[in-house]
Amino acid sequence: MCVNKCSVIAVVNNGVIQKLNPNPENPKSRSMVCARGNAGLQQVYDPSRLKRPLIRVGARGEGKWRPASWDEAFDFAAQKLSAVKEKYGPQGTLWSSTESFQEVFFQNLAQAFGSPNLVRHPSLCLASVNLAYSTTFGTVPSFDLQNARYIIMSGANRMEALAMPDSVDLIDSVSDKKARLIYLDPRFTVTASKADEWYPIRPGTDLAFILAMLNVIIGENRHDKEFVNTYCSGFDKLAEHVKPFTPDWAEAETEIPAKDIVRMAREFADAGHRAVYYAGRRSSWYQDDFQMRRGQAILNAIVGNWDRLGGMVPNAKVALGEYLFLPWDDPKAPRVDEVEKNFPLANKGDGSYLKLRENVLAGTPYPVKAWMIHKQDPVNSLPDQAKTLRMIEQMDFVGVIDIQMSDTAWFADVIFPESTYLERQDPIEVMSGIWPVVVYRQPVIKPLHDTKPTLDIAQGLAKRLNLSQYFDYTIEQWVEAQAKELPLQMPLEHLKKHGVYVPPGSPKYGTTLNSEHRFVTKSGKIDLYSERLQEAGYDPLPVYRQPAQPPPGRFRLILGRKAYFTHGNTTNNPWLNAFAPENHLWLHPSSADALNISDGDKIEVASNVGTVRLKARVTQEIRPDCVFMLHGFGKRSKWQRLVAGVGAADTQLLETAWDKVSGNAAMHETFVKVRKV
Amino acid sequence: MAHKQKRYALLIDSRKCIDCKSCVVACRAENGVPLAYSRNWINEEHRGAWPKLQAAFEPEQCHHCTDPACVRVCPTGASRQRPDGIVVVDDADCVGCRYCIIACPYDARFFREDRGVVEKCDLCAHRVDRGEVPACVETCPSKARVFGDLNDANGKLRDVLAKRNYRVKKPEAGTGPQIYYLL
Repeated sequence: MCVNKCSVIAVVNNGVIQKLNPNPENPKSRSMVCARGNAGLQQVYDPSRLKRPLIRVGARGEGKWRPASWDEAFDFAAQKLSAVKEKYGPQGTLWSSTESFQEVFFQNLAQAFGSPNLVRHPSLCLASVNLAYSTTFGTVPSFDLQNARYIIMSGANRMEALAMPDSVDLIDSVSDKKARLIYLDPRFTVTASKADEWYPIRPGTDLAFILAMLNVIIGENRHDKEFVNTYCSGFDKLAEHVKPFTPDWAEAETEIPAKDIVRMAREFADAGHRAVYYAGRRSSWYQDDFQMRRGQAILNAIVGNWDRLGGMVPNAKVALGEYLFLPWDDPKAPRVDEVEKNFPLANKGDGSYLKLRENVLAGTPYPVKAWMIHKQDPVNSLPDQAKTLRMIEQMDFVGVIDIQMSDTAWFADVIFPESTYLERQDPIEVMSGIWPVVVYRQPVIKPLHDTKPTLDIAQGLAKRLNLSQYFDYTIEQWVEAQAKELPLQMPLEHLKKHGVYVPPGSPKYGTTLNSEHRFVTKSGKIDLYSERLQEAGYDPLPVYRQPAQPPPGRFRLILGRKAYFTHGNTTNNPWLNAFAPENHLWLHPSSADALNISDGDKIEVASNVGTVRLKARVTQEIRPDCVFMLHGFGKRSKWQRLVAGVGAADTQLLETAWDKVSGNAAMHETFVKVRKV
Repeated sequence: MAHKQKRYALLIDSRKCIDCKSCVVACRAENGVPLAYSRNWINEEHRGAWPKLQAAFEPEQCHHCTDPACVRVCPTGASRQRPDGIVVVDDADCVGCRYCIIACPYDARFFREDRGVVEKCDLCAHRVDRGEVPACVETCPSKARVFGDLNDANGKLRDVLAKRNYRVKKPEAGTGPQIYYLL
């Protein structure tokens, strides 16, 4: 349901789950369960769940299925995958997955099969953030919001979009007046309503704001000189670089008053190591997103918040054991998205989703004709849905593993129903962070239907693909191997009883703060100026380029989330759907008046790639040059009966664009026309 | 020392409420409340004009008043107040006359068509009797609600109420509401 996976304890009565309560023993879930977590049991008892394997009988997307036995479904998929392998090689298969406890088994199947083409969610999510911080610091840190005293956030709507520890810490700090929160967003969100200052920044100009902050802090000599001298590289070049970016210049770009920029820069520097420009969790917006994130990272660096209480802290580690299985050969073919060539600094393993789709559609550098998808919904999550559907059309085979009939499953040839998280045993996981914990998920009921965990599905396929030698273990053996490295007398017994292992002690700060420490960067220090970027042909210091602005009569489509839906796969959950049964297009009254649109009117929204219809919500809470809609509606899958054809899908409107350095999808580069119908 | 009678109440810090609806779903699950009804809810208020905007969120449920109008008007005694202050409805005695729904100044009650009885928040009395806190209190990500015993001189409620300003809703209704909203 959510990537954070807060710990819950199920109350089960006569084999029926009654309630999910927070597990107070896990400090990483802060003794809470969000709305989605509470509604988890509805996922189990959803009458339109996938209950048995299905094989398509009608045309793709027609929604005609016949139930199949597991043997038949495995045979069918294995035969199709083998045929593609025979004709195009293993690289002719594409494997998509997203973060989940059994994803590892799906990934292992892809790799044992010999495909280089595993594509994961980061390039639709935070790849640009991760790459910007690892380029600067050699690692992606956590933000110590519990102890920060001055927090700036660009768009990451943490109090509304996702409810997890960072959100909780932020609410505590802000409402108890321990921290000052500055929030930039073209939309007035819940976070904006709680912030000490909210600026409806002109979209896409965040880097101008950051450069002006740097200009003031360095110009007034307010940076942490000792920290910069000891730990940073390239400060002189940075100081020279930011000279032209005055607060007055930034005001013209961002519409944030220059005097406020000056004041905030001073306050930020004064708060020093307890000031953070929060990277947040949010997908990238513009084609220069990486550079904007780099700007944030650099601003954080020069006030010396690295590895300090209330600052940015490198994640600590807890080592798990590993089950040793037979290794497979590395794939011989390069990736179809040619990440090495297109995004040489990006994470190779996760791929770049949109570039990958372009290449598959063009058939370059080689044909890809089979697509296996594990609990991801590319039809509903990739911008430009029409293109994703074209990509599906040109596949010889599409197989989906999921718990519900997603929009992507709707277009599949075969569907393998997975048991839900409350019906299966999962591998042990580490929840990373400043103070990481180890969590273990156990089944609380037997599977209600003819479903299987992913490991069993991978093994069923592996057997028919002659890959069983790589899957010669049970989930129990896997878990036991993981547990035995933990520093406990009876590690597995501990995890079974408590569901969590919390390493003793408390968060540690400053472990990297000694002059001997070598950062995993080009210079071995914190790279303010990055030679690595320069060598790869990118700006070594963040250069601001004003993003294209909507032409007259058009609006920028911006995205956002509600915590009870976030990624949109729970919009069909009745307990959650009740809070927002359909999505609307938010329009500022001045825009609506000009178009003769009233609140609740049916409207048509068109971009260069798609046209949708939904209702208007006329509200003061958005900039006049933007429109907004919630994600996860207008579904194609008729099995998602509450949201099938209800409202509209943002992915039908969003155009294909990506961040130049990380290859991450750029989600705010689409302009739309709106008219009353 | 003699055991003092408990008096349960809720303290709500609305500034901490982010309108995430966790309490609404937790209550639904805990108390088997069908989708058509809710025992608790979040009031929303949006004010101002661009770009000077404000929004406020305020969780609400039965106020477990000291002089509950619902109990006064109930012809059968189904609506009653426990010695610990929790106002409950005994299904067996409820005849579904719905006088209590009209009497409640907070609109905290609803009629269950399927069961022919009136329902409302009972502060998860079954949990409280086991020494637990109500589901809405436990699940809340930001811990906007605090549950406790007003008669406990060393308790959290008395401590916070002594230090902070607070208000109750519609005091003029004269029912003695026992949800304390921090200011």
